Amino acid sequence: YAEVMLCECYPLKMKLRVQLQCKNLHEYLRELSPDILDRLYNHPATCLAVYRELPALAKNYVMRMLFLDHPLPQAAVALWVKKDCQKDHDRCVSVLTGLRLWHSQQLQGGLQGMVLNPVFKDNLRTALLGGGKTWADEGSGLGPDRHARDVESLDRYAMERWEVILHFMVGSPSAAVSQDLARLLIQAGLMRSEAGEAPCITSAGFQFLLLDTASQLWYITLQYLNTAQSRGMDLVEILSFLFQLSFSTLGRDYSVEGMSESLLTFLQHLREFGLVFQRKRKSRRYYPTRLAITLAAGITANPSSSSSSAVNGTPGTADSGFIVVETNYRVYAYTNSELQIALVALFSEMLYRFPNVVVAQVTRESVQQAIANGITAQQIIHFLRTRAHPVMLKQTPVLPPTITDQIRLWELERDRLQFTEGVLYNQFLSQADFEVLRDRAQGLGVLVWQNAPHRVMVVTPHGHSEVKRFWKRQKSHT
Amino acid sequence: MASEDEISLLVIVVDVNPIWWGQQGQRQPEFTLSKCLDAVMVMANSHLVMTRTNKLAIIAIFIIWSFIFFSHFFDSRDEPSLGSSDGKYELLSVANDLIAEEIKNLMARTQVKGHQTDTLLAGSLAKSLCCILKKCLAGQDMKSRILVIKAAEDCALQYMNFMNVIFAAQKQNVLIDACVLDSDSGLLQQACDITGGLYLKIPQKIALAQYLLWVFLPDADQRSQLVLPPPVHVDYRAACFCHRNLIEIGYVCSVCLSIFCNFSPICTTCETAFKIPLPQMIKPKKKKLKAAN
Repeated sequence: YAEVMLCECYPLKMKLRVQLQCKNLHEYLRELSPDILDRLYNHPATCLAVYRELPALAKNYVMRMLFLDHPLPQAAVALWVKKDCQKDHDRCVSVLTGLRLWHSQQLQGGLQGMVLNPVFKDNLRTALLGGGKTWADEGSGLGPDRHARDVESLDRYAMERWEVILHFMVGSPSAAVSQDLARLLIQAGLMRSEAGEAPCITSAGFQFLLLDTASQLWYITLQYLNTAQSRGMDLVEILSFLFQLSFSTLGRDYSVEGMSESLLTFLQHLREFGLVFQRKRKSRRYYPTRLAITLAAGITANPSSSSSSAVNGTPGTADSGFIVVETNYRVYAYTNSELQIALVALFSEMLYRFPNVVVAQVTRESVQQAIANGITAQQIIHFLRTRAHPVMLKQTPVLPPTITDQIRLWELERDRLQFTEGVLYNQFLSQADFEVLRDRAQGLGVLVWQNAPHRVMVVTPHGHSEVKRFWKRQKSHT
Repeated sequence: MASEDEISLLVIVVDVNPIWWGQQGQRQPEFTLSKCLDAVMVMANSHLVMTRTNKLAIIAIFIIWSFIFFSHFFDSRDEPSLGSSDGKYELLSVANDLIAEEIKNLMARTQVKGHQTDTLLAGSLAKSLCCILKKCLAGQDMKSRILVIKAAEDCALQYMNFMNVIFAAQKQNVLIDACVLDSDSGLLQQACDITGGLYLKIPQKIALAQYLLWVFLPDADQRSQLVLPPPVHVDYRAACFCHRNLIEIGYVCSVCLSIFCNFSPICTTCETAFKIPLPQMIKPKKKKLKAAN
């Protein structure tokens, strides 16, 4: 028992605690090198996107300084906020400095002054007031599209594409994705592939499936960006394009004119994600879909917070509200989607299946199985809550408390083991040796566990050296 | 941030009184109506880019009527989009083109009669409240505020309507901010004070855009953190109902609270006949007191 505990305690602990980490835009940008950041601000769309994600107070700071040409004395900036909000002020200053949006400059009188990053300032002004180059070529140069798409069909298309990826992850036989995408999913740790076998889903992948679409999209995008440089793509170029896309108008066509080779490859990847619609691979125009435009909305959405459900509510982004949970642990899912049924089946036992509804039972075994796969109780509850049927939404709380409590309790059940690191002593030659050392360890107060018949004992790591020294002394005496 | 999900609606009410702006153009040729509208557009754009959920409406006030000429809600894609011809954010360039177009049309249509320089402020405020209420009734949960950019003189004739609008705004939790270009406005001071908005008479008209961004762009939450101009001394004088004069001391009807500058035995609003207080009643009292002494 002890041996098992000893050699597996550390990895076991890690496995239970693996959580899908989803950085927001700031955390991501902050880790980029200053050089890349400076180049990034060369595009109005990026400046606008970065500006929009600033804390509210920092947005006002930027606006106040946007039209000033001279640096402001630092003391004057400090006087902008009331005394009791100093903490917010410091946070804003650290965010703005961290993103290199402003920096200090020596004033003429020797005072320290603050000035906005000139590149950022110019481009934000351009985004706000015009001037400069156009962001992208418009489709108007191509004349009206004979195969123009309306918003509904774009929504449908985007959702279909996205579901194919999710289907692929749950291993539906009908779903097939490109090599690139499969590799991306593996690199992101959402799937793993044994040599020669089809990739299969990992525990991180399970957690990923339970997120809402906006968070999923942002997570994938982050992973994509992380691997972009290894694909030989220019990070700045594709980030700018991505932000530009998120500020475009739904239902309008844009032209691919003037896009570089690597950007065109990126466009093909986006097409596979369902972020843009392009009729044919060689088509000269593309339509951004709602997924691309709400991408920025997923940036701030925290996967654990429930506020992101607003994104699901927008028509066409996801089938919102189809699950009814009863206090007898029955789950009714009014859906035809194989994917949604597969998701529900992740943590419940399927009972019946009808043309438009499936009935499942949440049981201790099924939840424990899900938790063993790395899904947390919080994620299950979040999944049920964000996809609750409109009828369920009318009651407060949305989910019956018995169910949520019980799911949490089932999770706690797995946490009954308490892990203590230690050093194992075994293979004592005699019972006497064992007892001497055990008593010594007990005297020092470092004994964690002992089993006299098997002559094994465990001491704490920091007591190990003392016990070892004692044992060596003991052996040399005899 | 939970506040991100909340819709924040800003209604900008711009005084485009042609007579006042005509005179202003002669007095100070470097600050004309088009300059002012540029500043308003900067403000409008800044508000729109702040978050995805920010909404905007702009109302122009004329002498005799006011007109909602721009409102940006979810239906922006129904409008014929002209697209951006330069590096501006597409939504903003569509919005700005629309604003410029509408105001041009309006100016061409307007005919000025007489020499009245008053602005229909109460009417336009009422219109903006209606605009806000319409959106609220549509089931959207939002914070709204009104920003009045006022040029011409106050008009005491509108006192009654104006006060009613202010109290309606207070009830709806709508902030009224005022940015006054020329002379102080007692009515707007009261409006801002009652609804918790900001009142600022800008010292330099030419720097209007900077004042707007500096003082009026932050919403109510951020204002609690920022140091902003101190509240002005509010002129709380009311206008009498008989001659529309601003008075400090007057007569108030005990039934309907109408205000009069001279005494009249019958209230003109509710037609209550007042019983004249009898000065003779005091005399016996005095006598009694003397007797007691």
